[in-house]
Amino acid sequence: MTMRGVSKSNSWLTAVLLAPTTLWFLFMLILPLIVILVFSFGERAAVGGYGGGFTFEHYLNLPARLKAFQNTMTFAPVGTLLCLLVAYPLAYYLALKVDSRYKLLLLVLVIVPFWTSLLIRTYAWIFILGGRGIPSLLELIGFEGVRLINTPGAVLVGIVYGYLPLMVFPIFVSLEKLDKTLLEASNDLGGSPYKTFMQITLPLSMPGMATGCMLVFILLMGEFLIPAFLGGGKVFFIGNALVDLFLQSRNWPFGSAVSITLVMIMLVTVSFYMRMTLRSKTGRDESLM
Amino acid sequence: MSKSDENKPISAKKFMKEFRRYQKGSVTRRHFLGVTGLGTAMAVMGAAMPSLWPGKAQAFGELGNRLVFSTWPNYHNQKNLDEFTEMTGVNIQVNAFGSNEEMLAKLQAGGTGWDVFVPTNYTISNYVELDLIQALDLSKLPNYDAAANNPKFAGPATVNGKVYCVPKNWGTTGFVVNTKKIKSGPKSWKDFFDVTMGAGSGHTILHDYQLTTIGGALCALGYSFNSIDAKELGEAEALLIKSKPHLFAITSDYQPGMRSGDAWMSICWNGDGTQLNNDLPEMEYVIATDGGEIWTDFYAIPKDAPHLEAAYAFINFMQDPYVQAREASVHGYAPADSRAIALQPDSLGADPILHPAANLMNGLEFGAAQTLTDPIRAELMARFKSA
Repeated sequence: MTMRGVSKSNSWLTAVLLAPTTLWFLFMLILPLIVILVFSFGERAAVGGYGGGFTFEHYLNLPARLKAFQNTMTFAPVGTLLCLLVAYPLAYYLALKVDSRYKLLLLVLVIVPFWTSLLIRTYAWIFILGGRGIPSLLELIGFEGVRLINTPGAVLVGIVYGYLPLMVFPIFVSLEKLDKTLLEASNDLGGSPYKTFMQITLPLSMPGMATGCMLVFILLMGEFLIPAFLGGGKVFFIGNALVDLFLQSRNWPFGSAVSITLVMIMLVTVSFYMRMTLRSKTGRDESLM
Repeated sequence: MSKSDENKPISAKKFMKEFRRYQKGSVTRRHFLGVTGLGTAMAVMGAAMPSLWPGKAQAFGELGNRLVFSTWPNYHNQKNLDEFTEMTGVNIQVNAFGSNEEMLAKLQAGGTGWDVFVPTNYTISNYVELDLIQALDLSKLPNYDAAANNPKFAGPATVNGKVYCVPKNWGTTGFVVNTKKIKSGPKSWKDFFDVTMGAGSGHTILHDYQLTTIGGALCALGYSFNSIDAKELGEAEALLIKSKPHLFAITSDYQPGMRSGDAWMSICWNGDGTQLNNDLPEMEYVIATDGGEIWTDFYAIPKDAPHLEAAYAFINFMQDPYVQAREASVHGYAPADSRAIALQPDSLGADPILHPAANLMNGLEFGAAQTLTDPIRAELMARFKSA
């Protein structure tokens, strides 16, 4: 009886403690998703917004945004990869090379830009990449008419700049807790620095890389600010299409259909990605045994 | 009057200082009227002036300390905004928008928290129909003088006999050309698109705004700026999509691009044309010979404005002729209010960008109400951008 009483009050307590999260989950995630799903089958009201009804027309109209989907599906992985390539050496340096006296300072320097709004930081890039910025410097050394702003390259620069800390930190953490004796062992056994890196450091920092990539990739799939500012509205992501549909043409049903499609694409990509990283992890564990 | 706005009869700041002294009883009414120039300015100001500020009875403290104001880029004299805050203790949060459609979308979605916003003529009847703005209590706007406002520009403010907003400025939509880069002297929208896809390829900005961007393309094809004919819009879409690879950007914030020299040509509102031209003489504003837009912007109050009294106080402040004239000295758009025009330096009154010759404006059209909500135009713009 007592045992049952304890477990009963325990489960009651659990329920109470879980209630806020559950309610949040239901009302802030599930319910809005259901609303979007319902909207996506409705019709656009005459003056814009949601007008009720049931139709598949918006899903059939998805090809009208094909270019935007293509752009997002290209820039998100490429941007993630670039972030990884830039972030890894930085995280490696911070975690393994830098004197511990400066470590904190350098880490703070990576975070500091985050304290300013991304909007303002991205706007600043308009002037750096604009005609009076880097191109005018290039002109001094003889390269005339270089255009940087409103190009795919500018968007990638903005992405790497904006998302770098999200990639640096997970990698830094996984490198930081790396068992240094493994590196010494490799050295003692005659492993070259290259081999040590490839066989020990890199595999052991995999979890950090996987987390960083996931963070950056998921956020990039919904990105709209950077392409709008640094792509001049010419490099158009699906996020921009959504902003347009809700904030300009007020076609909520079509916007909802695009949203649902985007969520689906992300679910598929991310679960595929997770399966891949999990598999590579278990594979390695087995080989270690 | 000389170029500095400090040399106008009296700055609003000084006026307030004198007014406060008068309120406190430090100076006599005669001194106040004399030093502020009010005695002599009565003819201009009419009976409105003594009630310029809601009066001693109403302390500014009742206005609260916040006002959310949604307007357009490069459209205000910061001094005026600062002065309103200094005077009333009401801090103004300014949001800049690039299109009326964006404003409508926010209002339709609800919960904007806006107190005052600046819609354009063609949207007013839509807003009234959608029950998104409130009819104004003109007794709270003593500075507004209906008789002084040119009915051609103020007209759309009145819907079903009720006044829903008061004029801010009027202007034209044409394009601006960097004449150092483009020497062929484009004069029409047809020229504009020809140059875009020719000598000026890669250096043109179109607005992120269906009315002006689609309107410009329609004019280039010889159709009405306001067309909602499916066939004509289809041709306009084809022209826009054909020109897209040649564009520098699609944005309503076109001054940075023009100033940096990256963009050589842009759809442009005349006041922005003045602002650019003042700093860079090679920037030439063109009213296209094959059409374009003439417009009035208004101050309006959304239905659910949270700081209603502050909203009225702000609009009233902005209707003051001196304040209006000071606005225009910075943004380069003409007031619709003859009292404010009278206060402008003569050079501005004769400015061809501010006050274009009548024959140039013959071809211009006011935006039509149906373009705001027309689904074909809305989707066309969205398709063009994602193409």
